[in-house]
Amino acid sequence: MRKNLLYIEDNKEIGAWVSEDLTERGYHVIWLTSGEGAIGHMEIADLVILDIMLPGLDGFSIGQRLKKEFPKTPILLLSARSSIDDKLQGLHFADDYVTKPFHPDELAARVEVLLRRFGKISPPLIQLAHLSIHLDQNIIVDSRSNAEIILTAKQFQIFTYLLRHPNQILTKEQIYEAVWGSPYMEGDKTLMVHIRHLREKIEKNPSQPQIIETIRGIGYRVKQ
Amino acid sequence: MKIRQSLLMKYLLIITGALILWPLVLPIYYIPKEFLDKEIKQKIMYLDTEKLEQMWHREASKLNGATPEKINKRLQTLKEQYSMATMFWVDADGNTKLMSPNQINIPNQWTLQDSVEFMKKSVGTGPFTIVSYIGGDSNQGFMVFQVPRSLTEPLSASAIDDMYLLVFAFLVFALFLFISWLFFSKIRRRLVQLQTAMTEAGETGIPDKVAISKIDEIGQLGQAFNHMIDELTKSRKREQEEEALRKQLIANISHDLRTPLTTIRGHAYSLQKESLSPKGEESLHLIESKVDMLSQLLDNLLSYTLLSAGKYTIKQKETDMMRLIRASLVSWYPVFEKEGFEVDVRWPEKGLVWNVDPQWFTRIIDNLFQNVVRHAKSGRYVGVHTEEKEGRNVVVIEDRGPGMNNGSHEKGAGIGLSIVSLMLKEMNLDWTIESSSSGTRIYLHEKN
Repeated sequence: MRKNLLYIEDNKEIGAWVSEDLTERGYHVIWLTSGEGAIGHMEIADLVILDIMLPGLDGFSIGQRLKKEFPKTPILLLSARSSIDDKLQGLHFADDYVTKPFHPDELAARVEVLLRRFGKISPPLIQLAHLSIHLDQNIIVDSRSNAEIILTAKQFQIFTYLLRHPNQILTKEQIYEAVWGSPYMEGDKTLMVHIRHLREKIEKNPSQPQIIETIRGIGYRVKQ
Repeated sequence: MKIRQSLLMKYLLIITGALILWPLVLPIYYIPKEFLDKEIKQKIMYLDTEKLEQMWHREASKLNGATPEKINKRLQTLKEQYSMATMFWVDADGNTKLMSPNQINIPNQWTLQDSVEFMKKSVGTGPFTIVSYIGGDSNQGFMVFQVPRSLTEPLSASAIDDMYLLVFAFLVFALFLFISWLFFSKIRRRLVQLQTAMTEAGETGIPDKVAISKIDEIGQLGQAFNHMIDELTKSRKREQEEEALRKQLIANISHDLRTPLTTIRGHAYSLQKESLSPKGEESLHLIESKVDMLSQLLDNLLSYTLLSAGKYTIKQKETDMMRLIRASLVSWYPVFEKEGFEVDVRWPEKGLVWNVDPQWFTRIIDNLFQNVVRHAKSGRYVGVHTEEKEGRNVVVIEDRGPGMNNGSHEKGAGIGLSIVSLMLKEMNLDWTIESSSSGTRIYLHEKN
């Protein structure tokens, strides 16, 4: 099913081009040139792309209003305002901030990440090397033997957290805090131990991991 | 200000009051005594001895040829008037008459020897004595008037000895001191209040206005101060408005330049989908990279302007540096990966905590990585690690590019490094750069 993107942008040239690009990438784009009437499209919108400098109400005001009414719809600010102050103000309510000029691939990638993060896309089946993963049913199958791989709760949480952020590097503290829900202490080896056990179960060769990639000194990444 | 409200006037009033009061201290002290003490009136009578002598001689001559009864009667009347005096008279035969009060050392029958003895005594140390012949004639006898010397002596001698007068004078003096002290302490209190009001900054960072209760010299000072505060508030407001305008202007310029850049970038991207000659592809790639550069330049320009004007909000806090740098590395890793860099990250066992603004420090790291990607591509290496140097923890960012002095095919690093320098300085951090043809090492550390 095509996802609906509500796109608010007053610049005709940029608006037309972004709409076209995102449509080509398989989204249904509703493009408005001002914030007027935006709320009427929120019921069907899966994500909002919002410019800040708009005629009438600015993007900050519109975004805050939309977020208040529809907290479960992600908002991505797409603005030519690049100062730290603007970003901080924007990220009070918005979920991501992209500055112009941007690469369309970057915008598309961020849109996808946001949709995933908010559970708007739930891929029924992920094929990852020899693994078939049914995220919605919490089942991981080794496609070579068709045997289900049984993970502990923590291992499963770590793995799904990585899967929900495909192609993104996640730092140790990010993963630890998402899974354990408490602040990560520098030098804590718990996460490393869990990942080693996880790899023993899912990797073909745990000493040369293919699925969960270690980015030395930074974190882990799952490429899809 | 009316002259009578002035502090000067009030002070002159106090001084004048004191000057007028001082000479009146003695009279004021004695007047109540006059009324209370009848005796003093009596005492005063004996002060003027000349007058007493005249009176006695006059009385004596008036009694010329009078009978003893008449003389007795007159002396009794006089005795009533001068109650503290001793009076008697001696008749022609040398008999003492009407001695009141009775005195033992006065003979009843006078001989010539007695008279000489008596006169000798009265001239020397004895009581003050007046002797007068009755009717001015030695044959009719004489009459004597005696008062103790203590009564005829001037009062002033006794005034100095008067303890109460001293206390009274001291009290008057103390009263004057107290009034003066009250006057000056009141002035002092108001001045201190004013000083406090001038030093303590209100909500806006400017001292609040003071309340004015009296229109005197200090009140006028308060008014002048309030006027100054008004001016200050106005100029602060104006400055803020100008600052906001300038900030807005810079933000608008940056925005207005970015908008067409976005369109250029978009169309360049659309062109990629068309079939192009290799030369066309190359031009397109150049356009894209220049758009990126321009956009970063704009970003730096905006930051630099705000920073150098000191208008960048800074929120320093104790920050886990490893976590912060790691977060930056997460976003830069794909870029390094794409350019074929080796990313070498090594962390210390224990954490590293510095007091920085996380946003600012991220910006610093971004600028440094940006330079690595732009100018040190040939080295294909970026290293991030911490080490101990001269007894302090240092964050090192290292590349194996051609070095900073050897130039680079892309210019524009200047402003990025200026921003790094400014931001480090603001956060009380410092840096050193070691650059050679085999690479550049940048050391970031806390200032001592």
